[in-house]
Amino acid sequence: MKNFGYLLKEGIKNIWTNRTMSLASVAVLMSCLLMTGAAVLFSWNIKSAMGMVEGNNSIKVYIKQDVPSLKAIQIGDQIRKLDNVSTCEFVSKDDGMKQMKQMVGEQNAGLLDGLEGDNNWLPNAFRISMKDLSKYKETASKITAIEGVDKIYDYQALADKLTHIDQIVGNVGLVIVIALSLVSLFIIANTIRVAMYSRRLEISIMKSVGATNGFIRVPFLVEGMSIGVVAGAIAAGLLHLLYYYVVSSQGISSVFNVVNLNAIMVPVVVLFILVGMLFGALGGIISIGRYLKKEGGAIVGW
Amino acid sequence: MIELKHISKTYPNGTHALYDINLKVDKGEFVFIVGSSGAGKSTLLKLITCEERPDGGELTVNGQNLIGIKRHEVPYLRRTMGMVFQDFRLIATMTVFENVAFAMHIVGDSRREINKRVPYILGLVNLQDKAKCYPAELSGGEQQRVGLARALVNNPDMIIADEPTGNIDPALSFEIVDLLSEINLRGTTILMVTHEHSLVKHFQKRIVEIHAGRIVADTKELGAAGI
Repeated sequence: MKNFGYLLKEGIKNIWTNRTMSLASVAVLMSCLLMTGAAVLFSWNIKSAMGMVEGNNSIKVYIKQDVPSLKAIQIGDQIRKLDNVSTCEFVSKDDGMKQMKQMVGEQNAGLLDGLEGDNNWLPNAFRISMKDLSKYKETASKITAIEGVDKIYDYQALADKLTHIDQIVGNVGLVIVIALSLVSLFIIANTIRVAMYSRRLEISIMKSVGATNGFIRVPFLVEGMSIGVVAGAIAAGLLHLLYYYVVSSQGISSVFNVVNLNAIMVPVVVLFILVGMLFGALGGIISIGRYLKKEGGAIVGW
Repeated sequence: MIELKHISKTYPNGTHALYDINLKVDKGEFVFIVGSSGAGKSTLLKLITCEERPDGGELTVNGQNLIGIKRHEVPYLRRTMGMVFQDFRLIATMTVFENVAFAMHIVGDSRREINKRVPYILGLVNLQDKAKCYPAELSGGEQQRVGLARALVNNPDMIIADEPTGNIDPALSFEIVDLLSEINLRGTTILMVTHEHSLVKHFQKRIVEIHAGRIVADTKELGAAGI
């Protein structure tokens, strides 16, 4: 199209003429994209955390504190004899402390100083796995019945909790994202309506001279899509900043491997910009369709 | 060029604007359409420019049947006509040159064509010295000449002018109609709605008078009837 440069310029001009409205559109659309991104990242991280938990496989059996280590090892033999137990690995209280230190990370390891040796409050434990998890309850009650066994700690409870949080965040996030998308569409549509209103004289002249509706539409679509591009780019940038700020300040990255946003940043930016453009175009189409039906004086007097 | 047969128009709110209009305008004619406000003059123009659709009848403009015309065909019909408005409809932020060039831009003419044609048209309406002025710096008469230049720039077959002198000093009104006559002499059909009897009397063109939605007088038919 030989007029494309001209139409592009007109679209950008619209944004500048209606800077306040354009800014509001960018802000709302940006929040919407940011929220979506944050919710998705949260969910991914929860799933990654759960993967870790499940990967650790297993169920821990804690031995009462007053049972000496030697006796504890015998308890292990008893557990191994149970039908449904496939592996049973002894985790001494010293091993437990080492693992604990590893989990909190190097920078926080100081917290656990002085808790080695006699001050170690961790119990001896066994990490076991079962052949058939559906028989979990039965096997668990058999294990608890063994003398000297304190309790069974099973990561299923933690996994359930994480899933639950993930679901809540997912649902609340979805509602907020839908609400924000509607608000963005509404505000973009309004911004473009204002732009059309401020150019109604030009539109009426264009129509009277024989401009096709497609031609009249382009600058307003360009306006909507540019708003979308800017919102998408800012949202992607902010998401990256906020994500690594939260992850590092909360020490989350030391507890488990967080989703590596850096690695997927290019598709994220592209996706955000594309979705932004789509929203911008959609908002534009909503407004333009209604007002292009007007003719001549009806446009000027609108 | 323009032919209306049994054309009526009723607006959605129930107003009957036109009843059984029959009118034929040949190529190269200059027609004044007169009548009091609300008589249906503007509706007649709107039917011809396809801003409104008639209830029924036959309506042909520049060889195109407007009864079954599709929405996407309307812009191309309008490229065969130049419109002049009572309120000029000039864009205040554009110079005279840009206002006229705007009409060429829209139909996709190149920069080169625009730079060649706009000065020529501005010369035609005696505004060659005002090309760089903004509309607010011009008199009403000059502004309407810009409007006329814009209507002419795409070389239309006809000019449709809706009270083009309505906002102009009476003395300058003659100047505008003079220009229209000149354009008419070059073969462009002119359809001009007006209130001003002095103009109509002075210029001795075909007059079609509309009253309450009906054509009540047409000097061409009188002439044809030998009266």
